[in-house]
Amino acid sequence: MPILTDIKEILTGLSITFSHIWRKPVTVQFPEEQRPMPPRFRGSIVLTRDPDGAERCVACYLCSGACPVDCISMAAAEGENGRRYAAWFRINFSRCILCGMCAEACPTLAIQMSPEMFRCKRQVMDMVYEKEDLLIDGTGKDPEYNYYRHAGIGVVQPRGSSPGEQEPADPRSLLP
Amino acid sequence: MPKLIIDDIPVEVPPGTSVLEAARSVGITIPHFCYHPALAIAAACRLCAVKLLDGPVKGIQMSCSLPAQDGMVVSTTDPDALKMRSLVIEWLMLNHPHDCPVCDEGGECLLQDFTIAGGHSRRRYVGKKRTFQNQYLGERIHHEMNRCIECYRCVRFYQEYAGGTDFGVTGSAGRVYFGRFAEGALESPFSGNLVDICPTGVFTDKTGRFRARYWDYEFAPAVCQHCSVGCNTSPQNFQRELIKIVARRNDQVNGWFICDRGRFDKEYLNSPQRPRDPEIGGAPGEYRLALEAAANRISEFCLQNGAASLAFVGSGRLSLEGCLVLAELARVVGAPFCYFTESAAAQGSLAAVRLLNEQNAARVRDIEKAECIALFELDLMEEGAMLSLAIRKASLAGAQVFRVGGAREGEKHPLPFRYQEVATVDEVPFEGGSKGVVICGAGGKSPELLSYLASSGAKLVMLQPGPNAFGAALVSLERKGATLSDLVESGQIKAVVCFEADLPPWLLERVEVLACADWKRGGLTEKASVLLPTTTWVESNGTSINYEGRAQRFLRSRPAGLPLKGLDPKYYSSETEAVALHPPRVHRNYIPGGAEREAWRVMADLMLELGGEPVNEPLTGRWGKLRDLDPEGEGVRIYDLVSAQDLS
Repeated sequence: MPILTDIKEILTGLSITFSHIWRKPVTVQFPEEQRPMPPRFRGSIVLTRDPDGAERCVACYLCSGACPVDCISMAAAEGENGRRYAAWFRINFSRCILCGMCAEACPTLAIQMSPEMFRCKRQVMDMVYEKEDLLIDGTGKDPEYNYYRHAGIGVVQPRGSSPGEQEPADPRSLLP
Repeated sequence: MPKLIIDDIPVEVPPGTSVLEAARSVGITIPHFCYHPALAIAAACRLCAVKLLDGPVKGIQMSCSLPAQDGMVVSTTDPDALKMRSLVIEWLMLNHPHDCPVCDEGGECLLQDFTIAGGHSRRRYVGKKRTFQNQYLGERIHHEMNRCIECYRCVRFYQEYAGGTDFGVTGSAGRVYFGRFAEGALESPFSGNLVDICPTGVFTDKTGRFRARYWDYEFAPAVCQHCSVGCNTSPQNFQRELIKIVARRNDQVNGWFICDRGRFDKEYLNSPQRPRDPEIGGAPGEYRLALEAAANRISEFCLQNGAASLAFVGSGRLSLEGCLVLAELARVVGAPFCYFTESAAAQGSLAAVRLLNEQNAARVRDIEKAECIALFELDLMEEGAMLSLAIRKASLAGAQVFRVGGAREGEKHPLPFRYQEVATVDEVPFEGGSKGVVICGAGGKSPELLSYLASSGAKLVMLQPGPNAFGAALVSLERKGATLSDLVESGQIKAVVCFEADLPPWLLERVEVLACADWKRGGLTEKASVLLPTTTWVESNGTSINYEGRAQRFLRSRPAGLPLKGLDPKYYSSETEAVALHPPRVHRNYIPGGAEREAWRVMADLMLELGGEPVNEPLTGRWGKLRDLDPEGEGVRIYDLVSAQDLS
């Protein structure tokens, strides 16, 4: 009987509807409530520190070079012990498309996409973040990595003492 | 003429051409590190391997050191050659540190490019990297020996090409070290070229250390404005600040290199002391108001004293455009104009311009191929250092070099070639004169002396006292310019209007300065009642004519304005913000301190205020042919445009 089959179909559909009516809703009241996002979610951008607490960013300009919307600008400077750092570092989040190219380009793992959502602002200038706003007190992902331990230029340790390096050679010696 | 086939393209090249150069002539670039067209062949890096499929030699060969021969069939893409090149790259990278992000060469590094091109991305070698201690090489060049790939370019340039003696190679096997015997500043006045010539980051420019990257630089073809040689350079700007100057190739002028003065003497361009805003009576004002004030002062002065007691003063620092418009401005007012302040210097410059012609003005090639060279009473390393490298080339090829009149006072650098001292120019044995060259400074020499030197039959190099003093002298002859000291001494002149001029103190005391347009401060800008800032060569388009009469175009490489670094607190939104390190968080539709204009535009605007015609194109009349001068080209000698003989 077709009418009985029709009723059965309708009731099956309605049973799903009713089961959903009595379920706990999945909607959260953003921004008061926030769901934890997966670790690889591309939320807002942060600048991290190395395990020794120093800034990881060496202002190499690779992130600003990779940025497809040109929202990153900075100026490099030389610190004590020949350390290269960003004198200022600015991300214009009103232009940023959160594509993650900067984090992918970063050779020192300084710039990272945090899983935290970026908040809306009422003033455009409030979306222009300076280094002070971006720098966090943590290593973010990859807590062990310190670029300068592998760079081989003697900033955090004497020259020739990085892993995989020989002692500095004596250029005056002619011994084999 | 050997005929060979490279990658299926038939090529015919002059005898002695290497396979690498032959390939380049048909647009095939064979990767290389140690090969440099200006230097001797070393065949040290082994990267330029190609496979010869047929002909007099066969198999894998180094194309830089292999002369092209008849019947060669060369493949640059043969799998064997590719394999060889990728292995060479991997082997050169064995000891290279992992420091590209903090290396100033990053982005303009041949080793980076060819490592990517060779497909090397994973380190397979498990041994340890050899390291070195660096040396302190002075305040201009940073040394980072770990990055070295032993191509020997630096030492070949420094010792063989530039004649330096305090830098060389030591060590053996895997410890080959390029540096000085003891730490200290490099002595050669050409040491900055190590930065350009190193294919990786062993030598980097300390004056621009850790500042910017190649892809962010704003640059344009420029002509060095330090002396009258007119070397071709490429200034690299970042955030309105000049970070580095690098050499640009021009075989007719400087070859591949420039001297250290041209490379490192650049602080004045970024200086916060540079006049940036127009000043009226010492107080900053708008450009339009300053221009009106200057025009009013000129008109009032002319009404009271007559236009003939006012002089418009330029100098050899003005571009050719500036020189021409200055003459036009003076014509509108009816006042005399001058490019030279003192008559002794003026006479020499004007006489040199009259004497030189297409035949006797020596080209750099003539110096390099000369058999007999006389240096007449000049400090060559100060007045035209790059010529010393051309003389060195000639000297190494067997030319005799004579120095007349001995060393000048205060010479800082020894000449990088052998020479004999002689007392007078008559002792120099110019035989027939066809391969002889006389080199002297023109400024301050008497016309009789210069024509006597010219009568030797040798080719002539007469170095001018300013980067465009040749052009200024030409325009002075053409438009009947005067000399300021003559005008002042005759009592005719009471006031001056100066454009990029330098007045000696005794002249400055005797005249009133109605207005002054300049890009640097000095006695003149302090005394001027109206100051109009002008742009330097980095921020201007222009033409300058070098000592041999070669007109060269330079282009603006950055907009006028204050550098972003160290910007004045008044451009910030608040005082609390100003102490922050970042640039101002203020939107504005103009560049801070960007009121400067090219000197000729200031003159043209002033001319319009004084009732003249607007000037849209400064190069007019016979100079019009220079309008489409190619800034990337070799420049043109002006002798067929304008002959000084018709002018005098």
